[in-house]
Amino acid sequence: MVSRKDYDVLVVGGGPAGLSAALSAAENGARTGIIEREDRLGGILKQCVHDGFGLVRFGEQLAGPEYARRFADRVVEATSKGTVLATHLGAFVHAARRETCGDGGVRYVLECVSRDEGVFVAAARSLVLATGCRERTDRQVFIHGERPAGVFTAGLAQHLVNIEGLLPGHRAVILGSGDIGLIMARRLFLEGVEVEGVYEIKSEPSGLSRNVRQCLEDFGIPLNLSTTVTAVHGDRRVQGVTVASVDRRGTPIPGSERYVECDTLVLSVGLIPENELAVSLGLALDPATRGPRVDQEGRMAEAERADEGIFVCGNALHVNDLVDYVSESGEQAGRAAALFAAARREGVPIPERELIPVKAGSGFLYAVPQFIDRARGGKAVLYFRVNATRAEGGVVRVASGGATVLKKRYAVLRPPEMERLEIDVAAVPEGATQISLELADKGEGDGR
Amino acid sequence: MGAKRKFVCVVCPRGCALEVETDEGGLLVGVSGNACRRGEDYARSEIADPRRVLTTTVAIRGAALRRLPVKTAGAVPLGRLVEVCRALDGLIVEAPVACGDVILRDLCGLGVDLVATDSLERA
Amino acid sequence: MKLEKLREGLRRIAGRDVDAREDRGAIVLEGETDTWEARLAAGYFAANRGYRGVVNDIVAAEAPWAATEQPRGALTGAGNGDVGNGDVASGEHPLEGLSFDVAVVGGGVVGCAIARELSKWRISVILLEKEEDVACHTSSRNDGMIHDGFAAKPGTRKAAYNVRGNRLWEPLARELGIEFSRPGSIVIYESRAHAALYPAFASRAAKNGVDGWEYWSARRLRAEEPWVTGDQHGAFFLPSAGIISPYKATVALAESAAANGVRISLFTLATGFEREGNRITHVRTDRGNFSVKVVVNAAGNWADVVAGWADDRFFSLHQRRGTDMILDVQSGDFQRHIMAKPSLLQARTHTKGGGLVPTVEGNILVGPTANELPGRELYATSPAEIRQLERHIGLNLKLSPSMAITYFAGVRPCTWEEDFVIEPSRRVANLVHAAGIQSPGLASAPAIAEDVAKMTLDILGTSTRIVPNTAFRPFREAPVDLRRLSLEERAKLVARRPEYGRIVCRCEEVSEGEIRDAVRAPLSARSLDAVKRRVRAGMGRCHGGFCTPRVMEILASELGVELSEVTKKGPGSRIALGETKRRA
Repeated sequence: MVSRKDYDVLVVGGGPAGLSAALSAAENGARTGIIEREDRLGGILKQCVHDGFGLVRFGEQLAGPEYARRFADRVVEATSKGTVLATHLGAFVHAARRETCGDGGVRYVLECVSRDEGVFVAAARSLVLATGCRERTDRQVFIHGERPAGVFTAGLAQHLVNIEGLLPGHRAVILGSGDIGLIMARRLFLEGVEVEGVYEIKSEPSGLSRNVRQCLEDFGIPLNLSTTVTAVHGDRRVQGVTVASVDRRGTPIPGSERYVECDTLVLSVGLIPENELAVSLGLALDPATRGPRVDQEGRMAEAERADEGIFVCGNALHVNDLVDYVSESGEQAGRAAALFAAARREGVPIPERELIPVKAGSGFLYAVPQFIDRARGGKAVLYFRVNATRAEGGVVRVASGGATVLKKRYAVLRPPEMERLEIDVAAVPEGATQISLELADKGEGDGR
Repeated sequence: MGAKRKFVCVVCPRGCALEVETDEGGLLVGVSGNACRRGEDYARSEIADPRRVLTTTVAIRGAALRRLPVKTAGAVPLGRLVEVCRALDGLIVEAPVACGDVILRDLCGLGVDLVATDSLERA
Repeated sequence: MKLEKLREGLRRIAGRDVDAREDRGAIVLEGETDTWEARLAAGYFAANRGYRGVVNDIVAAEAPWAATEQPRGALTGAGNGDVGNGDVASGEHPLEGLSFDVAVVGGGVVGCAIARELSKWRISVILLEKEEDVACHTSSRNDGMIHDGFAAKPGTRKAAYNVRGNRLWEPLARELGIEFSRPGSIVIYESRAHAALYPAFASRAAKNGVDGWEYWSARRLRAEEPWVTGDQHGAFFLPSAGIISPYKATVALAESAAANGVRISLFTLATGFEREGNRITHVRTDRGNFSVKVVVNAAGNWADVVAGWADDRFFSLHQRRGTDMILDVQSGDFQRHIMAKPSLLQARTHTKGGGLVPTVEGNILVGPTANELPGRELYATSPAEIRQLERHIGLNLKLSPSMAITYFAGVRPCTWEEDFVIEPSRRVANLVHAAGIQSPGLASAPAIAEDVAKMTLDILGTSTRIVPNTAFRPFREAPVDLRRLSLEERAKLVARRPEYGRIVCRCEEVSEGEIRDAVRAPLSARSLDAVKRRVRAGMGRCHGGFCTPRVMEILASELGVELSEVTKKGPGSRIALGETKRRA
């Protein structure tokens, strides 16, 4: 009754990370399967109708669906051509477990269900988790008051407007100046919704500067900094919200409350990597990124046994600001997963890893990957975010065992903008116990 | 009398903070803060005639979905975005549509086409 | 004499502007206070002083509206365009001119349990619910605990009904096809002095007839609940404490009642009675007036208002709000039992209590708080209540406020005596009250239903011959719950019905088939919240962020309405207010 499908590499998630992971795994000779829970490939990009995607990768400004097409079309083509790729659409992973192969290696078995294929299990030596992220909700930022209709996360509002063609309301307040919130402000405005304003609890916008410019300033939508929504009013449909100024710790200042009439509240208050599967397979999460801890190929770091082949990429690993980097991380993970599976299949021993922890020092929010496998050699890509705006810029130094691996100057550093570094792994000295990221003022950095 | 203005470049995600100086006639004298040439071009056009690419959706019939994402093939004057968007009200496209298909030619007489940014099959 | 003393005391406590008078065995408090607090103090002061009940009609100057608040139905003030529920167009009067043997006012767990109990007899029964669904108020806004009966004050109706109800729930849940389990409850001894109270605890449990109790040493406690914080001194364990999904239970009771012949009339606001002599002859509603032989008052927070329609207001209700917080399912891995703080045991049950309660779905629920508020349906949560709950979380090392996925408030309808009112009216001949059903009302509901049904039948029997409903089917056809199927069972089901293979809510793993079933069920789910109560779609950590559009599509297709007409919770709560690209 329950059919079984065996692959070399199984990719969970058919968004930008999963698509590039699957393509790169297939290009490296792996029999690759994609499990996607929606009926169409492309993930969240399907509803991101705005442009600005692909500048780094393609040198063009593509709309989200266009960017996704570039990968999805290749997957469809590869699937129709041969057996390299199989795509399970509308399929949900109900449970994941490990199985021991005849040769003693590990195989991952996913119990899946879909409308078209029924219940089936899919198994592979390498598992790539490209499960994306989800939005924080009004409850997670502890907004109080009643529970009427008309409160939406920005992504849900985006889906309703762009995919379903529905107008969430007529007069909207947006809480949070994350990029999706800013983009939704413009999107709603252009569909004829009155956008009363965007409210941001922090003293600076959470989204990219260009989005503040082209989504708010272009249309005269007010951005209220150091202000938050404290309560929602209306028992059936939103009738208004209370907004209040906050102090430096983000606590509402008594007496600063005012009532804003609106029928819609849109929240853009952050994204959280989606890692239920990773956790169910025993992977611990990095508290800073809320994604699993991995090496530069996206391979799980805590493998006690060398034969563990779980790879994580894209927003499941950490929330990226640009899809171009998501694709890059998918490619790395897909390629590594294919090589890993091939080695296991052919009985080639998996080389011992030499995992050096990456430590992001003060001034950083986090750095990914959390480990560099020194034994791999070659280049490794490091992503980081700073924890506060440095308008005067700064110098980031990557150091290990007393040696400087890399030094880079930045004209400006802001938390919303993820930065990318490429380091030469060979420059990490033998016996190094740590790779550290240090942040210095421009002057200091130059002085060394 | 000339003037100085500050605004963020929107050409790429880097979002450079431009400082733009113009002369009495409103012509560009100098740009600083830009990391590349495109910033200067952007500043020039932003002073003279700010333009944006419009991305939106139009209604579609005969597909599994109700809306088709579209964009203008080139930038249109910022001041006319709302008008252009309203011009799409009531327009219904028939599936199938392929990504890149021209949906409307010479939108609002602006000399810019409206193109599909996704492919939707006939359901 | 008694009255004079009471008056004196009242004035001392609540000021010169309050007065009291006796009315047919009850004591009626009148006049004015400045604060709500003073009004409360007066009510409590008058309680348990030898009267049949306390009617507190004192108006507090800071909340004058509370004195005259009237119930509002789902259709109250809803324009036709707002309905979004197909056949429930406002202005229709489908009940006009009908007649029933029994009318039950209120579709909470108590009203639904009574209706089901009555459906065992061949009589005509209608249940009136003003909202778009059953369990919209107190019955869906609680922690789902089936109390053991230990906390109730010995000798009260609460204590007796609680213990009986606790025993009845297990077989009843089997009949209804809903989950019920007995994780047991532990009351932690925070000090050595506390631990020394064990004999007193045991004697109270014995007095209440609680089914079993045990002393747990500190070591045993740690073995059972390794993540309990602090230097605890053992615990009092009550194995009979259970948990249930309160809204699923209420829906199941209503569906079972409906399947056995009860007419469930949603969107129906009762507005009064017509009387002839000492009998109620008709029930007035906003959907028509009908004649009736017996009325059951199970109107929750409005039960005193309903009693007033029969000139039988010998008690009045005050509202004590409780806020609960639900933690992510991962929290369920860290605690097996219900864990309570000793403050629960204080004699004055209106003081703060609460604890950590596992749910049948595997979450941990934190709460509830207890705050007196001037309003019968005030559900807005506040930061102060959340801070109170955060203290409970401190009982378990592994839990943290960051695990919260949501929080909600419910309102307990309390009499001033803090006990249930379960009795026939002494004023009119054909009215039975099931009022003041606060905690442990959910646990007590099956026992209350048995007694109220018997009282109802006794009255009905004087004018009507009553025979058993031989067609009564106790077992309800339980909805498919994928999570309880083995992989093979699921494969067979999906092969036959592919809609069970399409997972719509990814957090709670709910399929399209289960949602369609909920809409097609005898008591149809017609809104997002109604779907959520039945199958949990949208109740998980993403809180509907992903599944809302999918559920909307299913509702629209099943109900035959436009996508933009789908509501969150009935009329006036549409999710979308229009369409893009549709402007004239």
